[in-house]
Amino acid sequence: MTLSRTPEPSADVSGYFDLERGLVDRTIFSDGALYRQELRRIFAPSWLFLAHESQFKKPGDFFTTFMGEDPVIVTMGRDRRLRAFLNACRHRGMRVCRADAGATKAFTCSYHGWSYDTSGKLINVPNGEDYPGHFEQDKWGLIEVAQLDTYKGLVFATWSPEAPPLREALGDMTWYMDAMLDRDPEGTEVVGGVHKWVLEGNWKLAAEQFASDWYHVNISHASALMVLSPTGKGPKKDIVQTPGRQYTDPLGHGAGFPTHPKSRFDDRVVHEYYDYDALRERLGDARVEGPTTTGHATIFPNFSYLPVNGSIRVWHPKGPDKMEVWAWALVDKSMPDEVKNAQRLYNLRTFGPTGIFEQDDGENWSECQATAGGFVAGGMTLNYQMGLGLEAQDGVHPGTTGRLYSDGAARGFYTRWRDLMNTPAWHEQPKAAESRTAEEDPR
Amino acid sequence: MSTHTEEPTAVAYGAPALEDALLHFEVQRFYSLEAQLLDQHRYADWLELFADDLHYWAPVRTNRLRRQQSLADGAPGEVAIFDETKASLAWRIRRFDSGMAWAEDPPSRTRHLITNVVVRPDDESGQYVAESAFLCYRNRLEREVDIYAGGRTDVLRRDADKGLLVARRTILLDQNVLLAKNISTFL
Repeated sequence: MTLSRTPEPSADVSGYFDLERGLVDRTIFSDGALYRQELRRIFAPSWLFLAHESQFKKPGDFFTTFMGEDPVIVTMGRDRRLRAFLNACRHRGMRVCRADAGATKAFTCSYHGWSYDTSGKLINVPNGEDYPGHFEQDKWGLIEVAQLDTYKGLVFATWSPEAPPLREALGDMTWYMDAMLDRDPEGTEVVGGVHKWVLEGNWKLAAEQFASDWYHVNISHASALMVLSPTGKGPKKDIVQTPGRQYTDPLGHGAGFPTHPKSRFDDRVVHEYYDYDALRERLGDARVEGPTTTGHATIFPNFSYLPVNGSIRVWHPKGPDKMEVWAWALVDKSMPDEVKNAQRLYNLRTFGPTGIFEQDDGENWSECQATAGGFVAGGMTLNYQMGLGLEAQDGVHPGTTGRLYSDGAARGFYTRWRDLMNTPAWHEQPKAAESRTAEEDPR
Repeated sequence: MSTHTEEPTAVAYGAPALEDALLHFEVQRFYSLEAQLLDQHRYADWLELFADDLHYWAPVRTNRLRRQQSLADGAPGEVAIFDETKASLAWRIRRFDSGMAWAEDPPSRTRHLITNVVVRPDDESGQYVAESAFLCYRNRLEREVDIYAGGRTDVLRRDADKGLLVARRTILLDQNVLLAKNISTFL
């Protein structure tokens, strides 16, 4: 018996873009069929962020999250190896773990009691004697991701056996990521707990903004900038007109950052902690004067971060018009406790659902989504022309960069999105579909 | 540590005494006035109800297996919805007063309901531990609705000049994934 499923036909999405001229059709933020195509062709084949390594200290520690809309368990096995599995019992599909995190020896489905160990193996089937002789228990373990790897503490996985290795998939972006992940020879860790909240907005609104949008900061976050400014009267002109660069990665990643020789962290305690000369030694002048302290970044498709407060986050897709944000607070391992605490407090007071910056982001995205339902407004062409034609190799930062105020990385993000959406994923290849049988992986 | 898990208090009171009734009335009235200030967006006045050494804290609530329930509410030092001093609350309030806090412009309509008040005097410190339940309804723009519901545990202190002051507030919001795009009020 073959279990091949006939996928919904996929659309050619080329017509939604004229990226050379900086034009994007808004349909991509609201169309249900395109959203399901994203789950097949963006989320299934891409490397997706799962967790931070520091969340797993001993065998049996687990954390549950999502890859696209698929629930997954990330857990450390008895061999101390991290693995990730679909959080779905092979018998009837119920989640075998309904806790957010914890420690366990086994994941036991509370429906019929099928039980799996931390390496995903099916170890117990109640009433096993009632299964006929051809029941092959060793073939019904939890479905494991095709590849799992870490980059400087960040755990990523993909369902695609054909995806390039993680390091390759991150490309030149690692130079920018290291500005946050590699300040400390000991590396990073996350403080306990994860902020989780829902937004009425397509996930790309947030992912794109973190790749490409310094532009909104001065307007959207005017109130927060005013509170943070030493005079309490709003940002100085040189902040509003700050120079900087925006990096556009051919793999869809993006990062933007002001550049300044005296670039510093906003929080006083964190600022005073860092030895900027040592940072220059470690990361080089270009990084310390650029992406190390402030700025924004997205790793395609849905992982973003902010160096200034250690906020790392995933935009989980929850339908074409909804996302769930999961945000962690990242700190350097070597920081003394009071500095870690200062970074954590700065993080949660500026970002997260009550953050003085992020409150306004939530309003922007839900408002963009709200007008996408109209027939005319939902199909109108959006302007992504900022900085068009101004991108180049700048000789200081790797890859292609443009001005800080630019839509460059958004154009890069959608170029990658368009190309992936137009490319059948590994699971759509006819050969794979024909050979799928009940005994083999039925994904 | 949060104090919400302490022994239930109702039984300990025994027969109601007049002084209990007066204390209960005083605290309930205090909370009603506090709620009015919040719903009228009079945040600077609201802040006056808090002591200078305030800790205002709303930990994250997680789903844990029953045997690991002690870890279900975020611990001090973890990611939290609020983890504030009086100074940092003032910082948040200044943002609302900037005239550019777009998430609240036009402002939301809110209604804070404070109920299930149980007050326990702490004879040693002269302070009170007051538990209450809250329900905050937010209606925004045309049809956005958010409901924040949960419990609060306050340490209340009597100040000779200002009357009751909140010295410590622990807020347990009864949600795992916060079912709102933000919290642009206080609880």
